[in-house]
Amino acid sequence: MRQGRLIATGAMLAFCLFAVWQSLLLSLTDRLGPGPGFFPFWLALFGVVLALGLLFTTFREPATPATDEEVRILPYGAGGMRWLAIVLLMAAAAAAMEVVGFRLAMLVFNAALVIALGERRWWVIALFAVGGSFGVYYVFTHWLDVLLPDGRIWN
Amino acid sequence: MDSLHHLLAGFAAALSVKYLLFALAGCVLGTLIGVLPGLGPAAGTAILIPLTFSLDATGAIIMLSAIYYGAMYGGTITSVLINVPGEAASVVTCIDGHQMARQGRAGSALGIAAIGSFVGGTLATVALVVVAMPLASLALKFGPAEFFALMVAGLCLVVGLAGNNMMAALLMTVIGLLFALVGVDPVRGAPRFTFGVEELYDGIGFIPVVMGLFGVAELLLAAEKRQTHMVEAELKSWMPTAAECKQSVGAIGRGTVVGFVLGLIPGVGAIVPTFMAYVLEKRVSKTPERFGKGAIEGVASAETANNAYANAAMVPLLALGIPSSPTIAVLMGAFIINGITPGPFLFQEQPALVWTVIASFFVGNVLLLILNLPLVGLWAKLLKIPFSYMCAGVLIFCVIGAYGLKQSLFDVWVMLGFGILGYLLRKLDFPIAPAILALILGPMMEKSLRTTLEISGGSFAIFLDRPVALTLLAVPVIVVGFLLFKPRSLAPLREGDSE
Repeated sequence: MRQGRLIATGAMLAFCLFAVWQSLLLSLTDRLGPGPGFFPFWLALFGVVLALGLLFTTFREPATPATDEEVRILPYGAGGMRWLAIVLLMAAAAAAMEVVGFRLAMLVFNAALVIALGERRWWVIALFAVGGSFGVYYVFTHWLDVLLPDGRIWN
Repeated sequence: MDSLHHLLAGFAAALSVKYLLFALAGCVLGTLIGVLPGLGPAAGTAILIPLTFSLDATGAIIMLSAIYYGAMYGGTITSVLINVPGEAASVVTCIDGHQMARQGRAGSALGIAAIGSFVGGTLATVALVVVAMPLASLALKFGPAEFFALMVAGLCLVVGLAGNNMMAALLMTVIGLLFALVGVDPVRGAPRFTFGVEELYDGIGFIPVVMGLFGVAELLLAAEKRQTHMVEAELKSWMPTAAECKQSVGAIGRGTVVGFVLGLIPGVGAIVPTFMAYVLEKRVSKTPERFGKGAIEGVASAETANNAYANAAMVPLLALGIPSSPTIAVLMGAFIINGITPGPFLFQEQPALVWTVIASFFVGNVLLLILNLPLVGLWAKLLKIPFSYMCAGVLIFCVIGAYGLKQSLFDVWVMLGFGILGYLLRKLDFPIAPAILALILGPMMEKSLRTTLEISGGSFAIFLDRPVALTLLAVPVIVVGFLLFKPRSLAPLREGDSE
């Protein structure tokens, strides 16, 4: 946990330093008063101070006996596989949607996700996948006037 | 008198079939969200925004508000029946509610929770009617300096109460504010932190971020842990006895006051009023030893405070334009999506909308009571939905919500990125609520500060010349100082990040 917090705070420190640098590329003041860089500059500088303070206090914290779960910040084991399945399938669906559209991307996404999460009855999987893609598309585009991607290959 | 006149007109609109249906749909969906463990009101309200895209502004706000207070009640059902709070504020209800269920009194617990929620929510809305308009009139006298100070005060209160580590909470606020500054500068129109990416010129979308930080992150956390199967408690009847009702009268009254007062303070999460109401009830009880063993007053006080808080939290939003919790920030986002800026001008510029929405709170509370008392058994059955389907279903809504706002797949990636970020931040115990509030308040804060400094010719001394602004800026210093010296006594209250 302590190590994870140190890494996360370090990343936030880097983020704030980057924001300071980027703010300095904008004007801090102009003839009317504060410029576009004014607020982000001082804010990011404050963030740098806070991140350094947090790094210091976290570093000084006494090491306490941690439970197994606290030690593992990243997902692991069977739970980790489920976690990974959700993230990868979401990413694949987002990438595929532009090309094949919402219906096909979500059809595959729904089927693959419920299988990855333990469902094995093929007819339930098929029903859910079709309903959650073609059915949802129909409801949202026809009844609720929400535009959803159709995909490049169909145009 | 003016408020009453507007409210009656609001009732006329809110009771139309169209808005009644929106309120009913919101209550049903909200209760469903609350029932499903892991999905809090913030995530629930955010992922259901796509359902309101085709509605008019009033209908959309009515439905989303109903989802919000529906979710606040829905969490009670799982707390009582399976000892798993559906949302953070229901944690306290588990203490006595589940004990009552184990004694075969689940129906009484759920019944008194529904009645308490109704009374608390309704009385808080009455108080909202009385308080909101004078507060908005007062806020109309505010200049940019006062608004900047008000937003700083609100964020500092969130920082003080949202996390276990105040410095981490402050850092999260800064990170949230920096993300809010991506896009075109609101004063000069210059692009900032866009790196040539066209999609970033409009800024980072608030809704995809909330869906990611709350919706996707919560699913990732739940997926990691194998979901436990529920053990359904026996539900003999859904009405408490006359003796139990009599026993709960005082608790409901006190819960309403605690919930309403704390709901007015920005940054106080829903768990604080429920916890305080419970502690107060235990203190005033002649038999405090019954608490924790199935005391009905424990359920009544917590649930009443919970819903009184939910309705009272709308006061700072409607009158000042300040969201007091992430869920209210999502509602504020919904206002903005519909081209409406919440705040003191709302009562002048959109009186029909604001009073219809307020009237719908009354209607919604009645609908919740009607829905919840007889349908408790049905809600309990929804707990049997397998995680795989719930997960896929929620993700479908997340994709539609993120994409549908701007028809941009970039926002779907933003949602996924923030989902992973939210997962890591939760695991590392970084509070998320301050970042969410900062994200929505950031552009307004910057605009107010820069306008103030333009008026003063760049001098910060303007804050010293304006007593209200000075007082509001002093609040954070007092709060931060108080929390630095008394951190341990407030430790139990610093939870409820999802709300």
